[in-house]
Amino acid sequence: MKAAPFEHHEPTSVSQAVSLIESLDEPTILAGGQSLVPMLRFRLARPDTVVDINGIDELDYLREEDGYLKMGALARHADVEDSDLVDEKYGSFADAAPLVADPQIRNRGTIVGSIAQADPKGDWGSILIAHDGEIVAAGPDGERTVPIDELFLLPYDTSLGEDELITEARVPTPEEREGSAYHKLKRKTGDYAMAGVAARLILDGDGRIETAGIGMTAVDITNARAADAEERLEGERPSADLFEAAGELAAEQSNPESDEHGDASYKERMVEVLTQRALGDAAERAGVIKRRAKP
Amino acid sequence: MSSETDDIPVADTEYQHDDDGGPDPEKHCGHGRGGMGEEVKRKEDKRFITGRGNYVDDIKKPGMLHCEIVRSPHAHARVEDIDKSRALDLDGVVAVLTAEDLAAHELATMPTLMDDTQDVLVNDKVKFQSQEVAAVIATDRYVAKDGAEKVEVDYEVLDPVVTAEEALEADAPLIRDELEDQEDNHIFDWDVGDKEATDEVFEEADVTVEEQMEYQRLHPAPIETCGCVADWDPGKDKITVHLTSQAPHAHRTLFSQVSGIPEHKVRIVSPDVGGGFGNKVPIYPGYVVAAAASVVLEQPVKWMEERSENIQTTGFARDYDMTGELAATEDGIIKGVRTDVLANHGAYNAVAQPSKFPAGFFNIFTGSYDIEAAYGSLTAAFTNTAPGGVAYRCSFRVTEAVYLIERMVKVLAQELDMDPAEIRRKNFIPADAFPYESATGWNYDSGDYEKALDKALEMADYDHYREEQRRRIEEDADKLIGIGISSFTEVVGAGPGKSCDIAGIEMFDSADIRVNPTGNAVLRVGVQTQGQGHETTFAQIVAEELGMDVENISVEHGDTDTDPYGLGTYGSRSTPVAGAATAVAARKVREKAKSIAANELEAAEEDIEWDRESGEFHVAGAPDRSITITEIAAGAYMNHPTSEEPGLEAVNYYDPPEMTYPFGSYIVIVEVDRETGEVDFEKFVAVDDCGNRINPMVIEGQIHGGLAQGIGTAMMEHVTYDENGNCTGGDFMNYLLPTANEIPNFETGYTVTPSPHHPIGAKGVGESPTVGSPPAIVNAVVDAMAHAGTTHVEMPMTPDRVWEALDEAGLAHDPSQNVHFEFEGGQSEEPADD
Repeated sequence: MKAAPFEHHEPTSVSQAVSLIESLDEPTILAGGQSLVPMLRFRLARPDTVVDINGIDELDYLREEDGYLKMGALARHADVEDSDLVDEKYGSFADAAPLVADPQIRNRGTIVGSIAQADPKGDWGSILIAHDGEIVAAGPDGERTVPIDELFLLPYDTSLGEDELITEARVPTPEEREGSAYHKLKRKTGDYAMAGVAARLILDGDGRIETAGIGMTAVDITNARAADAEERLEGERPSADLFEAAGELAAEQSNPESDEHGDASYKERMVEVLTQRALGDAAERAGVIKRRAKP
Repeated sequence: MSSETDDIPVADTEYQHDDDGGPDPEKHCGHGRGGMGEEVKRKEDKRFITGRGNYVDDIKKPGMLHCEIVRSPHAHARVEDIDKSRALDLDGVVAVLTAEDLAAHELATMPTLMDDTQDVLVNDKVKFQSQEVAAVIATDRYVAKDGAEKVEVDYEVLDPVVTAEEALEADAPLIRDELEDQEDNHIFDWDVGDKEATDEVFEEADVTVEEQMEYQRLHPAPIETCGCVADWDPGKDKITVHLTSQAPHAHRTLFSQVSGIPEHKVRIVSPDVGGGFGNKVPIYPGYVVAAAASVVLEQPVKWMEERSENIQTTGFARDYDMTGELAATEDGIIKGVRTDVLANHGAYNAVAQPSKFPAGFFNIFTGSYDIEAAYGSLTAAFTNTAPGGVAYRCSFRVTEAVYLIERMVKVLAQELDMDPAEIRRKNFIPADAFPYESATGWNYDSGDYEKALDKALEMADYDHYREEQRRRIEEDADKLIGIGISSFTEVVGAGPGKSCDIAGIEMFDSADIRVNPTGNAVLRVGVQTQGQGHETTFAQIVAEELGMDVENISVEHGDTDTDPYGLGTYGSRSTPVAGAATAVAARKVREKAKSIAANELEAAEEDIEWDRESGEFHVAGAPDRSITITEIAAGAYMNHPTSEEPGLEAVNYYDPPEMTYPFGSYIVIVEVDRETGEVDFEKFVAVDDCGNRINPMVIEGQIHGGLAQGIGTAMMEHVTYDENGNCTGGDFMNYLLPTANEIPNFETGYTVTPSPHHPIGAKGVGESPTVGSPPAIVNAVVDAMAHAGTTHVEMPMTPDRVWEALDEAGLAHDPSQNVHFEFEGGQSEEPADD
């Protein structure tokens, strides 16, 4: 890597990091570095200062606490991939982690870093949308939480202040009859998604859908919520027809562009397919029995 | 093409294998000393897996400077002004070079491998994006990069021409306006075969089929990019260049010719090379700049490409737009083949072919089939894209030929509603017809195509999958099965020197064996390994031929000061040519060893026999009176017969009488997802025949690597450009390489049909899988949709392209309708109709 020259800071606590960020002129934060380092290498990013948060041990966690699954800013994709807790209770996370990039990237890249990057082709934003998740940001005025729907503005742009650091991403712990899933289509391991859909369903005691969450990857200028599809699902019983209708609504709501990952009409069609697949898996994980009539 | 020689070395049949081609313990193949047929572990791997490899970028010299190239952001532009001043102001920047500076040393241009003339640094006009415009020499690589950013270049941007089709339009902008007599972007026309006879066959044929297919632009993308460390020694007036080179000697001659430094004052060292695949055959501007800078500054200069520079500017491969046609009888006998190609050569004609073959060995587009009439034509054009046309793990465009014929046979089979295995069987050149001359005049040495196909069909459980395919179609299943076959023939091992050359140098190769007094030996060869395993397999040839233990033989290569002149490693030529030289040199040593044995055993030389199994020399009729090669080695230096020179060594320069024609049958079974267009490999069978096998484990490794590259070709790799000539596939984010995740389990098998003219009956093997597998994969995907009329899907077969083909054929499925859901014993939902 032949980056342009920059100053490198290595705080060891969140408070140190926050005051550094406040004192420096437009610093860039380095966590896993899996987006930043290639940009430095191409000199597309030319920060004067880099605040490297890898030495802040207090941000290295993945745990359930206070009704949330909490991922600190140093939780790596591989931590999610290797977690028994995630395997057992968080279907969409368990589906997504092994589909993020490649093993080398997963060993370094972080969930929070991916969200902070606000790349519409990132996976975790969609999963947080499906789960009604939020992020915790630390700034000079202390901590605040931001619902995921209020975070993404544009590609690579969030609503955070320049002096704020995301310290955590979190989603509510699952209800009794809850299931979630993530389906992603890509050209090869390590490639970004052609399209991806996260789905989460909570059923009532009668088997009706109480809450539905659907987040979409790579088919809009940010990770996007398929709100119309969610609305269509709520109050209904899981069925193939229902999921088909939801898939169509999600596809309608998506807004993909033609690019090297395929043309827009293909991606819209894939939103339809992936939504139905994700809903099917989510329903199954919520306790519904899925049967296939044919191979 | 043919070559008449009186002294064709006869294949040594003594160590042929058992009927299945395996090492035969009965015949003591290999003899436990690591000879022919033994799975000797690769000698080179210890240093690689323990991190002790030594690549060009590992080389550091005292006072070494670093070179960074300033590149054009435009594909077609006139350079109006270059301002070096801000770069020169930077601390650590030593020099900034432009075409003007190089012209003062007569280094402004360099010849390409096809005798075109390429600017080392742009003289007047940029002809492709990222072309070399200036070079910054600095004390470290970071400062060099900082300096490159500060070189200010003013461009007048011109309209670019990106595709060969556009380039040949009457009003297309002229790219090569510096060439006298060049009035358009047309480079050359080429043809082969009998046009009239072929046209006649087509007119009279029961059935003809035609298909358009593009062999997309690929890049060899070796993991190590190109680079060099040039070190001018003013005390000796000699330059040493450590270079990522597949052909060090040829590069020495070219370096000398370009620079004017006498050849004996040029030393090229190719250290460990991290993959070449044809990318490291040409000379690139960065090498010339680094060498010129070292001479002028009298300090070593390193130039090492970044990944995107490698993909965007150094030799690409393929980029052939092809039309294929077959003429056949109603019962599937192929009577004629016709093809027309439009070739995009980029901004310079820099294709890496033997100069007499402007379309390389595309000539063998009749493949494995006995076809009476064939005609091929090709037009090549300049475009505003990077120059290239290298032999990416192939023998000079044979890959395109194999793709064409193997795809067309599948198209014909569909037209006639015949099984694609059956139609191949009907048309194969029969095993007893070798040596066989093809309709385009090429002499195939040996083959038994049906045997390889039969073996592959059996391994693939072909009938079972055909049945499964039918079942899925009948049940309208969500996943279709496709079965693809490729029964390819390769042509490898260039020369002969009279027909094949690189920049005028005949394509022979060489070996030099020196046996030491203590009984071990050093073999030096003129070819250069980039991962092929020469240090092991060539030692095995010597072990076999001299009765030595493979452990006692080391193989040296890649240093032009000490190794015999050779043409290098590409086009699977190392074993066919340098391997032959090694065997012949070893036999020469063996002959001399006999006279030493005679002296030691006090017998007449003609009474000395060599026993391949024991590796010992003995007196005829008296096996007890024997002597080992170790004892003979000692004798050669300590008690040499007065009738002979002391020492025990031999050199051979081998000009092959013909090329070798390895072949194989690959069967690929895929599952195609009708909802998404995703393709999964269900089974991947590869049966190869490379003649006598030296090291089965090395061959297996070669096959695996080449199949992976074949999958990359068929499924994801593509150097793409936008309409402005911007390279949009120029890094690993966009130029997709397969990883272990995309690679299925390979089931490999083999047959053995020795080459009759090669001293050890061997043929090349390294590129067979890259050449042979793409059509098998495409045939499989097409086969999954063939029942609905699909005849072709273009590479790379990304999910969106496959889905479009499914949609067009009416096969795309709506997301599964045959699912229904039940809630914990409660309300159940009726399955929906579909």
